[in-house]
Order: sequence, then C-alpha cells, then structure tokens
Amino acid sequence: MRVYLEFAKKSFQNSIVYRMDYFAGVINAIVMILVNIYIWKAIYEEEAAIEGVQFKIIVTYIIISFLMQMVYMMDEYFIENKVRSGLISMDMLKPIHFRWYVFSYNIGTVVFRLLLQFTPAIIVSIFLFNLLGPFSVLYFSYFLLSAVLGYLVLYNLNFIVWISSFWFYWTFSLVTIKDAAVMILSGAMIPLWFMPEWLVDFIKLTPFDAIFYIPIRVYLGMVPEQEILSALFRQVMWIFILFLIGQLLWKAATKKLVVQGG
Amino acid sequence: MAFIEVHDLVKEYKVNIRNKGLIGSIKSLLIPEYTMKSAVDGINFTIEEGETVGFIGPNGAGKSTTVKMLTGILVPTSGSITIGGLSPYKDRKLNTAKLGVVFGQRSQLWWDLPVIDTFDLLKYIYKIPENIHKSNIEHFSEILGLDEFIKQPVRQLSLGQRMRAEIAASLLHNPEIIFFDEPTIGLDVVAKEKIREFVKFINKERNTTMLFTTHDMVDIEKTCDRMIIIDHGKKIYDGTVEEIKDTYGGNRILSVEFGQNYENILMSGLELIEEKGNKKHFKFAKDDFQVSYLIQKLSQQYEILDITVQEPEIDGIIREIYQGGIKLNESLSGVC
Repeated sequence: MRVYLEFAKKSFQNSIVYRMDYFAGVINAIVMILVNIYIWKAIYEEEAAIEGVQFKIIVTYIIISFLMQMVYMMDEYFIENKVRSGLISMDMLKPIHFRWYVFSYNIGTVVFRLLLQFTPAIIVSIFLFNLLGPFSVLYFSYFLLSAVLGYLVLYNLNFIVWISSFWFYWTFSLVTIKDAAVMILSGAMIPLWFMPEWLVDFIKLTPFDAIFYIPIRVYLGMVPEQEILSALFRQVMWIFILFLIGQLLWKAATKKLVVQGG
Repeated sequence: MAFIEVHDLVKEYKVNIRNKGLIGSIKSLLIPEYTMKSAVDGINFTIEEGETVGFIGPNGAGKSTTVKMLTGILVPTSGSITIGGLSPYKDRKLNTAKLGVVFGQRSQLWWDLPVIDTFDLLKYIYKIPENIHKSNIEHFSEILGLDEFIKQPVRQLSLGQRMRAEIAASLLHNPEIIFFDEPTIGLDVVAKEKIREFVKFINKERNTTMLFTTHDMVDIEKTCDRMIIIDHGKKIYDGTVEEIKDTYGGNRILSVEFGQNYENILMSGLELIEEKGNKKHFKFAKDDFQVSYLIQKLSQQYEILDITVQEPEIDGIIREIYQGGIKLNESLSGVC
C-alpha cells in the first residue's frame, strides 16, 4: 500500500510544478461563479423565488457546484498519452497494479487542489458572494461523505472513458461528449429541479445526478433526513457498477495489449 | 536448464488492410479487412545466467517483438519462454520484480520531478531495502557522475544525462536480467562510451544477464559476448562477433598518400577502389598478403608520404548480410 501513498505524494509534487495552471484554475472557478450568479440574477429579477427556491439558495448552489468541479478536475488524457506513446508498457513492466497507480495519482491531484486551490477560492466566495453555510453540522458531515462518493462516481465514469483509448487512441471527442453530459445531467450548471420531469426521470436512471446534484442538495438541506441514506446508497451503487464496468474494460485492454502489442 | 529458454517462438499479428483512395478508406472504415502477419517465426535459443547477448536485425525483423515477449508484455502465439523457471507473461507480476528495462526512446523517469524523486519512488515500487537502495545510488552516482544533476528535473537534462539516470534507475533493485532497447541512440561518442563501460562493469560485478537490441554495432562489439541476428522473424546467426568478422572481414583497406600523382599503380594483390589526387585507397585480402610486404614493395617503387591500414568494419559486413550480399556459410558454428 505504501507505494500508492508515494505515488499520490509524487503526483502532488508534480502538480506544484505547474504554477500557472494552478492560478488559472482558481481564477477560472471564480469567474465561472461570477458569470453564473449574474445569469441567475437576471432570471430572478422580478421574482423572489422560482419553483420555491430563493435567489440566495441558487447562489450557494452555484458556488458549491463550481468549487466541487474545480476540485474534481482530472487529467483526462493521462492514460491516453501513455497508450499513444507506448509508455503504458513501461508501467506494465513494474510490479504494481496499474488501476491503483492511476487512482493514487488522481488522489494526489485532489489533495493538491483542496489545499492550494479550494482554500483561496472558498475564502473569496464567502466574502464576495455571500456563500450560505451548510444546513446543519450533521448535514455538513453527510455532505462531506456524499462529496467523496460523488468524486468516486465521477472518477469511475472517467476511467471508463479513459480506458477506451486502448481501442480509439484519440479520445478527445469522447471526453468532450462525456463532459457535456456531466455538465448538463449532473446538475452542475442548472439545478435539476428546473428540468422537465421526463428528463429528470431519465437522469434518475443514470449515474450523473450522483456526482454533483446529490451532494449539493445535501449541503443545502434539501434532502429529508429519512432519504439521505438511500441517496448515499444510490451513489455507492453507481460507484460499484461503474467500477465493475471499468474492471471488465481494463481486463480486455490488457488482453488487447499483450495480444496485439497495443 | 539454462536461465532463459526459448522454444519455437511464434508471434502473429492481425494487420488491418487499408484500401487506397477515398472510397477505399471509407470501405476500410465500414468493413475492416485483416490479414495475419508473422513477426516472429519459430525462434529458438538459450541464454545462460550472466551472459550478454545482442539482438540485431534490420527494422521490422522481429527483434522488438521477441524482446517484448521475453519481458512478458506480449503473449506468444505459440512456443514457450521460461526465464529462471517462470513464464514471463503468466507470472508477469512475479517476473517484473526481477527484471530491469532501459528503452532509449521511452523514459521511466518522472518528467517534471528531480531524478532523485524517481529513485525514491522506485524504492517503494520494488520494495528495495533502504541500505541496498542507498548504497546503489551512491555506487552508481560515483561511476556515472549523477551527482551533478540528480536534483534537477528530468525535463532539464541533456539526453546523455537522462540516459545515465535511466540506466541507474533500472538497476536500483538489483535485477537478475536487464533489457536494453537501443540504449545509446542519439548519444554523442563520449556518452555512448561511458554507458558501454558502465554496462560492462555491472555485468562483471553482479553477473547480471543482459540483452541488447541496437543498430549500433559498436555497442554489440564492446558489450556483448554473443550476437543473435534475426531477419524476417527467423534467427539466422547465433555466435560471436569475432567469428563473423574473421570470416567475412578478410579484406583490409590500405590508404596511401603519395609524394606525387602516379598514374596506373599496378601491383599484384592491390585493387584500387578510390582515388583523390595523390591519395589512393586499395583493397587487399589479409590472408593472401602481408601488410609489411605490400608497404615494402610500394615504398621501393614510389615516394610515399603517409600510409594507413583500416580494419574491416562490422557495420559494412552486417549491411551486406541484411542485403543478402553475404550468404552466411554453413561451416560457421553460429549459423542456423
């Protein structure tokens, strides 16, 4: 296990190297929050509440959503680059589990983003945008758990897209489609309660709302206490399903690599 | 039983056929066609522990495919490989701990981090005991001169420095066997020499089995006891470099700079191959004529300013073999 901790540490160190990227990430999140707040301000101009939701709730929703998106940002081409350059065989020649290696690499990045990007961004958000505090201490701990699960849902979904590079070599369009789907269907941009009912019914059959929508609603106290466990369970279920699909694809990918030579 | 045993190794690839032209491309996209191409076609050899073996052959001959199968990242279509009693692909995890790889064109170092950080990571990857890890780094730093750049990020290193770091990295866990894939490609003469010396030194010191694929014959001459030539997926030669050289390198080149421009220099045994003013190059068979005799004869008749004798170049001989100009003689011990 120690080696994966070391991978995470090295990935953290690696992130520090790109200082420009780090500043850009913070500024990007703050600008996106600002733009979205103004859009919602225009929508709310005449009304005190839409669908029973006040403006300040929407502002908090947007802030939490974009801060989460910033922290959850992953290197989408990590595996693709290895496949295309052939470096994947260097990793296969090491006595390590590749899946765990990729995961620990991403964990290192998350810790980096939490410490160095999230912290300044949340301070700005509290003072500049009047971010509302969590619904209660209990709900805040549920939120933390749900946010971790949301990350794992997104990670396992991403892994499926990444691993497809063994067959497609270029995954740019696939990643773009996935990003768009996540953006719209997970409630990252627009809360799902504004969506038509048929679309919400469809989304309920997909893993997307388990990424952002569930944790943010927990933060806002919109999920009744008796439903929280089932919401968390939904997230766990999707992690499990997506992980299994990823595992099957990974097995097929290694088989392709050793038979076809990549 | 030998350390490495390879029997009737065959590897066939499925190759996608693309038709030509626009319509052809679209057709290939909709209805892909495949043929089977054999990259390795029934190769046998054994290698003992501590041997240094060079694999050579023209591009596409099947060297890399053979090496990939030996490392376990490629599964043979048929045939068998055992390394120290293990199958490289069935026991890949177990096997990888015992082997090291150096690919001239692929780096295992973390690009943005200092070299020492990768060394540190390798300690955990291979579970290298602290004292061995430390003494190895000290030892390699001393011989390869890593100290001057060990704290620099890899992306800032020159190719020569990077290769030295790569080689040290692949040796930290004291592997039993190391694969070098074009380890000196793109390096200058000094850097090449440094790496060859180090490799030889490690082989002597630790009795590590070493396998090379390279196009640089000097690499093979200086580091390998044995050479395996592969062409069209088949092994065509397995023996020493010297034997090939002695058999096919029978000709020497005598370069003479004369005091004045003589025309039509005629002497038995010397064949004029090139002339540039007063400087003329002759070819002669070393078994038929002694150099001293030729020089003596020449100097009796002509005024000579300078004279040099050139050894046969193994590069030239190998080129001839690839192009089919030399058919390997059945009497050679290494011919397959």
